[in-house]
Amino acid sequence: MKLEELRKIRERAEAEMRLRAGEARVKIVVGMGTSGIAAGARQVLRAILDEVAQRNLRDVLVTQTGEKGLSAKEPLVEVHEPGRITIYGEVDEATARRIVVEHVLHGRILEDHLVELREVPR
Amino acid sequence: MVEDLAFHLADLVENAIRANASFVEIELRREGPDFFLRLRDDGVGMDEEARRRAADPFFTTKPGRRIGLGLALLRQTAEELGGEFRLNSQPGWGTEVEVRLPWAHPDRPPLGDLPGTLIPLIATSPVEFRLVFRDDRTAWTLDTREMKQALGEVPLSHPEVLSFLEGEMRKALADLGWKEAG
Repeated sequence: MKLEELRKIRERAEAEMRLRAGEARVKIVVGMGTSGIAAGARQVLRAILDEVAQRNLRDVLVTQTGEKGLSAKEPLVEVHEPGRITIYGEVDEATARRIVVEHVLHGRILEDHLVELREVPR
Repeated sequence: MVEDLAFHLADLVENAIRANASFVEIELRREGPDFFLRLRDDGVGMDEEARRRAADPFFTTKPGRRIGLGLALLRQTAEELGGEFRLNSQPGWGTEVEVRLPWAHPDRPPLGDLPGTLIPLIATSPVEFRLVFRDDRTAWTLDTREMKQALGEVPLSHPEVLSFLEGEMRKALADLGWKEAG
């Protein structure tokens, strides 16, 4: 592993981060855990990271969590925004990409995979 | 359900995170006719009762689930191929799982997509990782603490970092001749 390469990436990325200077607007949480992984959560996590990178969405944070007791609906993806959390179920790779494009980018909820929409105090 | 080794690793990593580990060490090693997969975490660990039951398909500590298959599946796979499954765990010490699989056995699970599985997992996880791939000629190491030092404020999930790491891991696997992984 060449750490020198990472230092170069750091120089480029830090300059870019200074330009946009802000907190993450959206957090996307992928439910992993045994049954989530078996159901395809790996591919989902990867597709989301890929779509976020391709569309250069630098105010989106992608993270993961364990099982949530909704095994039947896995893989689960949560979109955390100010004021609300949207939970999607039975997400496959294609749906994962739609979540990034339709929901995160254009603000449209994907009704066909919606499990729960939760209002949260800002 | 055919699980590749990347699946098992992802599952073991999730177990470690759930056990509140702050550090996970993963080693994949080819040694003569054998392939070893070892994962060690510094999580809460298991007492004797939990250890005894951990590799039992009908035991789980995950709330809301009656059946936890991860460790049991791995153990079953190892034993069916004439390999070995070892579980060391102590409360306060953490957990170490090691399996030995005969590399050339026709029923050995494929490695699967190791970079595509491990890099996203490592980059978005709250836990620090040290990952080693080795055989008797060469070794490749990825250490998130070193990487974070080199990266400063730039997260591991930054797109450029992700593609760099995937590329590095693919090169390492090609070097080792673990070709089916890519």
